[in-house]
Amino acid sequence: MDGDTKNSTYSKKIKKVSTDNYIECYIAEQNLVGVAIGAACRDRTVAFCSTFAAFFTRTFDQIRMGALSQKNINCVGSHAGVSIGEDGPSQMALEDLAMFRTIPGCTVFYPNDAVSCERACELEANTRGICFIRTSRPATVVIYNNEALFQVGKAQVVRENPGDKIVLIVAGITMHEGLKAADTLATNGIHVCVIDPYTIKPLDADTIRAHALRVGGKILTVEDHYPEGGIGETVACILSTDANITVKRLAVDEVPRSCPPEVLFEKYGNSSNCIVNAVYNLLQ
Amino acid sequence: MTIDRLCPLICSMTQRKISDREPINIKKKISKMDSEKSKQLQIIADRLRIQSILATSASKSGHPSSCASMADILSVLFFHAMKYKVSAPKDPSSDRFILSKGHAAPILYAAWAEAGLFPKSELMNLRKIDSDLEGHPTPRLNFIDVATGSLGQGLSVAAGMAYVGKNIDKASYRTYCLIGDGESAEGSIWEAMHFAGHYKLDNLVAIFDVNRLGQSEPTALQHDVETYRKRADAFGFHAIVIDGHNIEEIVQAFDEAAATKGKPTAIIAKTFKGHGLDGVADHENWHGKPLGDKAASIVKNIEERIAGSNVPAPIAESPVEDAPVVSIINIRLSSAPAYKKGETVATRVAYGTALMKLAQNNSRVIGLDGDTKNSTYSEKIKKVSTDNYIECYIAEQNLVGVAIGAACRDRTVAFCSTFAAFFTRAFDQIRMGAISQTNINCVGSHAGVSIGEDGPSQMALEDLAMFRTIPGCTVFYPSDAVSCERACELAANTRGICFIRTSRPATVVMYDNEELFQVGKAKVVRENPGDKVVLIGAGITMHEGLKAADTLASNGIHVCVIDPFTIKPLDADTIRAHALRVGGKVLTVEDHYPEGGIGEAVASALSTDTNITVKRLAVNEVPRSGPPEALLEKYGISANCIVKAVYNLLQ
Repeated sequence: MDGDTKNSTYSKKIKKVSTDNYIECYIAEQNLVGVAIGAACRDRTVAFCSTFAAFFTRTFDQIRMGALSQKNINCVGSHAGVSIGEDGPSQMALEDLAMFRTIPGCTVFYPNDAVSCERACELEANTRGICFIRTSRPATVVIYNNEALFQVGKAQVVRENPGDKIVLIVAGITMHEGLKAADTLATNGIHVCVIDPYTIKPLDADTIRAHALRVGGKILTVEDHYPEGGIGETVACILSTDANITVKRLAVDEVPRSCPPEVLFEKYGNSSNCIVNAVYNLLQ
Repeated sequence: MTIDRLCPLICSMTQRKISDREPINIKKKISKMDSEKSKQLQIIADRLRIQSILATSASKSGHPSSCASMADILSVLFFHAMKYKVSAPKDPSSDRFILSKGHAAPILYAAWAEAGLFPKSELMNLRKIDSDLEGHPTPRLNFIDVATGSLGQGLSVAAGMAYVGKNIDKASYRTYCLIGDGESAEGSIWEAMHFAGHYKLDNLVAIFDVNRLGQSEPTALQHDVETYRKRADAFGFHAIVIDGHNIEEIVQAFDEAAATKGKPTAIIAKTFKGHGLDGVADHENWHGKPLGDKAASIVKNIEERIAGSNVPAPIAESPVEDAPVVSIINIRLSSAPAYKKGETVATRVAYGTALMKLAQNNSRVIGLDGDTKNSTYSEKIKKVSTDNYIECYIAEQNLVGVAIGAACRDRTVAFCSTFAAFFTRAFDQIRMGAISQTNINCVGSHAGVSIGEDGPSQMALEDLAMFRTIPGCTVFYPSDAVSCERACELAANTRGICFIRTSRPATVVMYDNEELFQVGKAKVVRENPGDKVVLIGAGITMHEGLKAADTLASNGIHVCVIDPFTIKPLDADTIRAHALRVGGKVLTVEDHYPEGGIGEAVASALSTDTNITVKRLAVNEVPRSGPPEALLEKYGISANCIVKAVYNLLQ
C-alpha cells in the first residue's frame, strides 16, 4: 500500500503480479499505516506500506501504537536525506532513522545497493515486529554479488586491510561517498576499514568493536540524516562503555536547502571530499 | 446590459449546461467587474503559467502542471481580492496567503514577481544553491510565512492566523489558503476545517484546487465537486462551487466570501491539471515533470493567446492598518517561583502556574491544548483571561498547526500542550515547523512510565528523541517546580521550537526560588571531592538519583549528581569536566526508551573523549500498566536500580 507516491517509491511494481495486491491509500499517511496494521492483523497478509521516508513522521503515533500492538508491518521510506536534491527539505527524510530506532522491537534496514535491498525486503517479510527500510532516490552502484547473503544484525565489512587506521561506517548514499573517499585515501597510502552496518537496529556492535580495536580505536560515521538519533549516535552509544574507542560523527547539522545533490553533500559534510578531510583530521 | 458583459455570463451558463450536472451555486447577479479588468486578470494568469514553465524548465525539475491549474485563482487573489503591500510583504495588517500545496511554489514566486517584489529574471534561479527560490517555499523568502511541501498542513496554519485575526488582533486582515484536491485526503485538512467551522472564522477562505489528478493516479473523487461541497458545508463552511478557470466566477466567489459573516468560506474550484498547456492539460503522468522539449511550443501557444500583452499587473489594494502593534520580547514571569523547598509539586502543575504568570505580564501569551487542559494544567491561563486560551479539541496535528499560525508575524507567543506521547501525532507538523522557523513552545506532560496505571499508550518514551531531531529546538526537562517555571519563561523568549517535558507525579522542590537557569547550562546538584561516578538524571529520575546518591553516601560512596536542565543544547563542558574529575565514569538514567534520549545525547557529546565511558539506564521494552514505583523498579530506573548500577560500574 502507498500514499499516492507509488511511481516514486516503485511500490507500483507489485501491480504487475496482480492489481489485487496493491491498495491505494491516497495522500493520508496516518490511515496508510493504520490500514496496513489492520490488514496484517490475525496474520491475514504481509503488508508493505510505503511513502517518502519523511512522511512517515506524519504517522509516528500510529507506528508507536503499532509496536504496542505487536504488529508485523513493513514500512519502506524512499527519498532519504539531502541526496534527493532540488525538491528541498520538506521532502527530505533527516530524522527517520531516529524515529524508527525508538520503536521497540523494530528492525531498521539501510541497504546500500540493489542486491542488499532486495534481500532486506525478503528479510522484512519474515521478521516479526515493525520493520523499516530506508531507500534512496538516486541510482547508486551495485556493490554486492547477487549471491551475497545478508542477516539482520550482521554488518558487512566492505573494505579491509591490515594497515587500516580508521573504521568508516557508512550506509546508503554515504556508502558510495565513503568508498570513493577510501579509494582516494588509499592512493595516498592511508587505509580505512569500511563497514556497512546493513541494519542500524539491531546494530552489529561486535563486528564494529572488533575492527575498531584492530585499527587503534578511531571510528568515523557519516550519514545523510540529522546528527540526533541516527547512525552516529547508535554507534557512539553501543560503544559508550569502551574507553579506548572514539567516534567522530558527520551528519547534516542544519535545515538544508534546494539544490543539486552533489552540492548538498559537499555543503553538509557527506561528500567523499569531506570524508577524506575528516580522516586526515582524525589522524593528526 | 452590454453584450460584452453578457457574453461571459452566457458562455459560463452554457458551459454549465454542457458539463456535468453540478448545481449552479454562484449568485446570478451580473458581475460588477468590467471586462477589461477581467481580461487583464486572465492575461496575468497566463503570464504566471509561462513563468512557471520557464522556471521549471530552467531548473529541469518542478511541477508546472500543478501550477497551471491554479493560475487563474492566483491571479484573482493577488490582483483583485487580497490586500497587501509589496513594500512590506509580511506586514501584520496585510492579508495572508498560504500555498498549502507547496509544490506549486514556482507560480507563487511568479505572482510576487508580477506584483513587483523582485525582478522576473530571478525566477529562472528556481532551485539553485544560491537562490532562496527553493523547490518548496520556505521563510528564507521574506514573503513566505511558513514552509509547505508536506501536504495537508497549510489550512491549520491559516486557521491559526485567522483565529488570531478575529479574536486577538481583532483586525480586518483575511487569510487565504489554497489546497490541492489530492492533498485534501489528509485528515489534518479536516481537523482544520472542523476548527475553522467551529470557531466561525469568517475571515478565512479555503480554496480547493480540484484538478482531478494526484501524483500517481487520479484522486479518489476526481471532479465530483458536489461531494467536496457537501463535505465543506457539513464542516460549517459556506461552500461555493466554481469553474476555477473562469475569472468572473473566481472574482464573484471571493467577493461573496468577503461578504459572508459567521462562517468561513470554502471555494471548490473545478480545474484541470495543466490547464492552458496544450497536450498536457488533464493528462495523467505529468505530475512533477517539467515540460522538456514541449515547453517552447506550449509557451508560444500561450503567448499567442495573450497576444504578447505587456499590460502591467494591477497594484493590490493596501490593507487597513488596524492590526495593533505588539511586543513579544522580554516576557517575564509576573512573580518569581514561590515554593517551599521539600514540598512536593508536579512539574505539570508548575507549568500551568508559569503559563498563567507569563500571560499576566503579556497578553499575547496564549495557551492551546487538545482537550487535556485539566491534565496538563494549561487551563490555568484562563484565570488571566479566557481569551488567552484556545481549545483545539482532540486533534493534535491541528493543535500544532494552529499554534504555528498563531505565532506567525510574531502576533502571539504560543504554548501548545498535550500528553507528551501525543506530540508524536504531530511530528510532521513539528518537523515542518522547524523549516518554517517557527517559535512555538510545546509542553508535553505525562512523561514516561512514571504515569503508572494508564499504561504505555499514554506514556511518552520517545519524545526526547523526537524533539532532539528538530533543528534549532531547545529541549527542557526540568526536575522540579522552580526550574519548570523558569523553563517556561526561557521558552517564551527563545527562538525556534521549544519543548518542555513535564511529569504527572508530584516531586520534591529541590531548587531555591531565587535560583537562576539558562539554556544549555547544567546544574551540579551534588558534588563531593570523593565522587566516583557522574550520575545524570532528569525529571523523575533526578529524584530517584538523589535517593540513590543518599543510599550510596551512607555506604561511603559519593556520586556527583548533575541536572542537565536542557537536553538540547546539552552542557557537554560541565559534564565532561566532572566526568574527568571523577575518573571517567558517567551513568545516565532516563524515563524514556534507550534510543535518542539523555543517554544517547551524553554518549554522543562525549564520543570523541577517550577515557570517558557512559553507562545508560533506560526503559528497554514496551512497558505495562502498574503503579509507578513498581514500574520504575521493573524497568530499571528506580533508586535501587541506580544503586546497583553504580556498584557494578565500580567493580
